[in-house]
Amino acid sequence: MIERLKRFINNGDLRKVRFYTQLITFLLFVYGGYFAISFGSSFPIFVCPFNSESAATCYLISLQHQLARPTEVIFSMASLGVLIGLVTFIAWFAVLNKAWCGYMCPFGTLQDWITALRKRMGIRFSTYTQNEFENLSKIKYIFLAIILLVPLFMGLGMLDREWFHAFCQMCPARIISPMFVGDFSQWMIDFSSVTIMILTSIGVAFAGLFFIGSFVKKRFFCFFCPMSALHYIFAKFSIIRFTKEGDKCTRCGDCYAVCDMQIKDIADDVISKDILRDDCILCLKCVAACPEDDALHFDIFNVKAFSSTKEGFAKRMGIEKPRDKK
Amino acid sequence: MSTNIHHKIESPKDRQNRHKAMEAIKLINTIKEDFKFPIKSMEYFYDLFERVYCKNEPLHGDKVKVGTMCIQIPSEIIYALDGVPIRLCNGFYTDDEIGSDLLPQKACPLVKATVGHFASGNFSDKPDIVFSPTTCDQKTKAGAIIEKFGHEVIDVDFPRTKESEASREFFRKSIREFTSKLSKFQGKKLSRKNLKDSISKIGYAQSLYHKLTTYRQSDIVPILGIDVFLITNAFFFDKIDNWIDAMEALLEELEVRSKEKIHVAGKISPRIVYTGSPPIFPNYKIPQIIEQSDAIIVADETCSSNRMFNDMVAVDEWLVNDMLDSISDKYLKACTCPIFTKNDDRIRRIIHLAKQYKADGVIYQAFAGCTVYEMEQRSVLEAMEKAGIPILYIESDYSPSQHGQLSTRVEAFIESLKTRRRNKK
Ligand code: SF4
Ligand code: SF4
Ligand code: SF4
Ligand code: SF4
Ligand code: SF4
Repeated sequence: MIERLKRFINNGDLRKVRFYTQLITFLLFVYGGYFAISFGSSFPIFVCPFNSESAATCYLISLQHQLARPTEVIFSMASLGVLIGLVTFIAWFAVLNKAWCGYMCPFGTLQDWITALRKRMGIRFSTYTQNEFENLSKIKYIFLAIILLVPLFMGLGMLDREWFHAFCQMCPARIISPMFVGDFSQWMIDFSSVTIMILTSIGVAFAGLFFIGSFVKKRFFCFFCPMSALHYIFAKFSIIRFTKEGDKCTRCGDCYAVCDMQIKDIADDVISKDILRDDCILCLKCVAACPEDDALHFDIFNVKAFSSTKEGFAKRMGIEKPRDKK
Repeated sequence: MSTNIHHKIESPKDRQNRHKAMEAIKLINTIKEDFKFPIKSMEYFYDLFERVYCKNEPLHGDKVKVGTMCIQIPSEIIYALDGVPIRLCNGFYTDDEIGSDLLPQKACPLVKATVGHFASGNFSDKPDIVFSPTTCDQKTKAGAIIEKFGHEVIDVDFPRTKESEASREFFRKSIREFTSKLSKFQGKKLSRKNLKDSISKIGYAQSLYHKLTTYRQSDIVPILGIDVFLITNAFFFDKIDNWIDAMEALLEELEVRSKEKIHVAGKISPRIVYTGSPPIFPNYKIPQIIEQSDAIIVADETCSSNRMFNDMVAVDEWLVNDMLDSISDKYLKACTCPIFTKNDDRIRRIIHLAKQYKADGVIYQAFAGCTVYEMEQRSVLEAMEKAGIPILYIESDYSPSQHGQLSTRVEAFIESLKTRRRNKK
């Protein structure tokens, strides 16, 4: 019975599962507000509260608010809130690990839809060279540093209020998310101070770039996303593991060929058991595209929940007996 | 006027064909007769080799035949461009002898036989164009020699390191060039549909091979290793649709056999993983000795068999360029050919096969003169020792004379595996 269930899952059509999960969660998180649904303010994905109908609040904005309190407050009992926020974030995150990105984040989903549009038009995606990849991949940590340090400096009185949620001012999700409910008001540069002007200009530029970038490059924004960096720091606390059994891997590179995030280790590293990398969105496309039994698997509480199999591979790649046309 | 009814003078071509037919039929007959429990659906393959190598029957009529010197030329692309891939690696001693006059004495017999075959120009299905990937030195140079015999030979650049990103890019470009050359030759453009169909077709053939291997993983093995070599070698030149049908019939029969618990070897016959220089019809000398010495080959790591089928192409977006890149990655990245600088992947592969197929030992054959396999020998032996897997290294060539000495060594090794097995129990 369990064997049959396993086989059913491993043979599953990941594309479909992902498409519908993403569609449903997109509707839920982006329009949940209309139905008074709320998942709180420590959500581990870009469910942006600048969209008034969001069903949750992206943790990054809460984090910036909480850290921006005067320093004395942060290090007193009153900072329990910060702690609770963090614990809630970790608790949410622990359930899905980075699969939040591959399956739940509306902003990630939006990029996948833009990709689907490009694909429809028969235009090929582009990729970064290895060098570009290594450099660009660091940017998200710079953003994360801004998120953590700017509010602290504000708390210390070293920066003005104009630096208030500085990252959000640059974040393309702030501008784009409200559009889902017909609110285009974020598409503007705020001239109230030079700093704000610069930050919001970056935001508008970034938002414009988002559409172009996502059209040519799969998951364009996720490379730069500080949420992804924050995830990675807590990945060890998750009940989810992403495992590779190197001795079963032939290094054929199939997994790398389908990876939206161009993660090279997924194919080339045959030593690490834990194959989750900081850019990974745990979309599991690689598992679906790996032709070796159990070389890659997605584990919940160390139990294989989705494994690469030869049979599943053949099903998904449309490998079938050729129809006669001798 | 003339009355030469009774004797026809045998031309050198005829003589060569007669010698090759003798080599071929001798092997086919021993395979057919020597082993117990014949498999009915193997008849197709015995018959196929007889038709092609004894009766010189052409299989592909007026289809364009695209010769390939190694496995790294993607059949997916050839089929998509309406050609038939013919792998030119050759296993005939007769051809080896002809080639010996053209190449250094110590060259690899496989390369000598391939060159010898071209020198005589004696083909049942003559390739219209030949693509030669720049793999090992000898093969690379062989391409140039063959060209002198009046064949159209096109080199396909193949990198000799595969870890670096640069080599990936390099081979991707190389495959695109190959595609455009073949496409020009054929006067046909590669379409998304054709390429996708042929990926799926080859993938299907591969999946049948994978099914076959699952039977070899179980304790009761319904098919001999030598039969499997025949099957995989047939893929070099057979009509793919016929091969697929024959394979399906065979798998059905194997299913029945495994239900009836027909084991083609003895109860304690050691299980062998075969690696090294590729056994190519009719040079099955070593596999034959192994299986006649009461062992059974359950898996192999060679480019004439497992390596041809194991790795599959995965594509994300199914546009022509996307497919081409995936194809090129598969042919480069997964390849465990010894011509690469490092052989970690090959070693990991052998160890994994030994575990997966519950093998008792590994037999590593290198052709005398195949430098790359000879050079890798030491590192593989060391790694096997570390992993606690017994291994025998043997050198051989295509000549029928060494038989006695080789079988003594193989038998001794197999006896030691049996003792090990008994002691374990
Ligand atoms: S990395 Fe992408 S999917 Fe994940 S939170 Fe950021 S935008 Fe969303
Ligand atoms: S603007 Fe960006 S970082 Fe700020 S809350 Fe919205 S999604 Fe999160
Ligand atoms: S697809 Fe599987 S076998 Fe191929 S490189 Fe990736 S993990 Fe290894
Ligand atoms: S490594 Fe696998 S799960 Fe992670 S982003 Fe790439 S394809 Fe998705
Ligand atoms: S071992 Fe490598 S070079 Fe030699 S025949 Fe096989 S694929 Fe070609």
